[in-house]
Amino acid sequence: MRDDDIVNFDEIARELRKPVRVNRSFNERVMDSVLRLPRHARARLWKRLTTPRTVTITPLVWGLAAASLLLFASLGVIHAKEDLHRAAQPIAKALFATPVAATSRAQSVQFVLVAPDAKKVAVVGDFNGWDASHVAYQAQQRGGGVWSVTAPVPVGHHRYSFVVDDSLWVADPTAPRVIDTDYGLPNSAIVVEDDK
Amino acid sequence: MSAGLRTLVALALVARAASGQDPRLAQRLDKPTYVAVNAIVDSARVAKLPTAPLVDKALEGAAKGSDGQKIVSAVHLLSVRMAASRRALGSNATGDEIKAAATALGAGLSARDLARIRTASGKRPVAMPLAVAIDLIGRDVPVATATSLVIQLERSGVKDADFALFQRNVRADIDRGADPTVAATTRARGLVLRSGSAAPKPSE
Repeated sequence: MRDDDIVNFDEIARELRKPVRVNRSFNERVMDSVLRLPRHARARLWKRLTTPRTVTITPLVWGLAAASLLLFASLGVIHAKEDLHRAAQPIAKALFATPVAATSRAQSVQFVLVAPDAKKVAVVGDFNGWDASHVAYQAQQRGGGVWSVTAPVPVGHHRYSFVVDDSLWVADPTAPRVIDTDYGLPNSAIVVEDDK
Repeated sequence: MSAGLRTLVALALVARAASGQDPRLAQRLDKPTYVAVNAIVDSARVAKLPTAPLVDKALEGAAKGSDGQKIVSAVHLLSVRMAASRRALGSNATGDEIKAAATALGAGLSARDLARIRTASGKRPVAMPLAVAIDLIGRDVPVATATSLVIQLERSGVKDADFALFQRNVRADIDRGADPTVAATTRARGLVLRSGSAAPKPSE
């Protein structure tokens, strides 16, 4: 082998050992080509979901969306209210059943008291919460010192009394007295019949 | 009333029920009495006894100007009588029956008398017979006689309407001057005979 040949080989080897410098634009071209290749469907979806984007909504679309939301919210609230109301009614009814409510049957009863000097006469009893100011149970003067009122009383046995001038308790002289010494003032008894 | 307002009212009622409060009690009783009465009412509610008669008893005391201690005692006594009434009448007794029976206990009947009236009535309600017994006692018919007559009428299958008629007739007889015991016994005998059963005896 000649010396010239050896030199040439050395030059070729030196040249081959040099690092290959790839053109930057080549790199970009290759990557662009890769990115342009068709993607897998799931990858496309993920890309769409995770890529931030700007959405433009017209006032009309925005208004319709808001109206829909409001409609659904209102329907929900109405249903919730109806359910609560339905649920609350029987509970309240069961827990607050009074004799009047339990026996809706009531009869008109006339109460009469002769009290010539009275300025005011009211009927109180377990049918009106012993409330002397109850409007329906205020007696009217009928002349000759006779006071009377006709008022509803539920069917059953009741205790009652007259209150004269907001201070004097008077038992009905025409009715039996109830043996009730709890409070030391007399009560009268009445049995209201169901006329069914 | 709007649906919203109705809902609020219903919720308020439930809330009030949950707290065991009747607004009239708060309005008419002083604070310590109100607390004590509420405790009795709550206990009655837990025991499934009617609470309206207890509230009513407290309101009666307030209306009559009684002091708090007297009101609490009266309400407590009524709750005890209602519990005894339910034991005597059975667990199926209605609120009206328990209320009438408690009043009857206060009028002098015993728990045994209540049980006898319940037995005689079978499955018929006893509120009206008890009311008539209380009425007779209030008109000075002895307790034993009134109880016995009511039991006899019950055994004869007398209905509520006839009990009411019996009570009216006895009252009319007494108003005309008849002796209460004689009037009640005579009227009861007539009613039983009309019902086709044996005549009642004055006492059993």
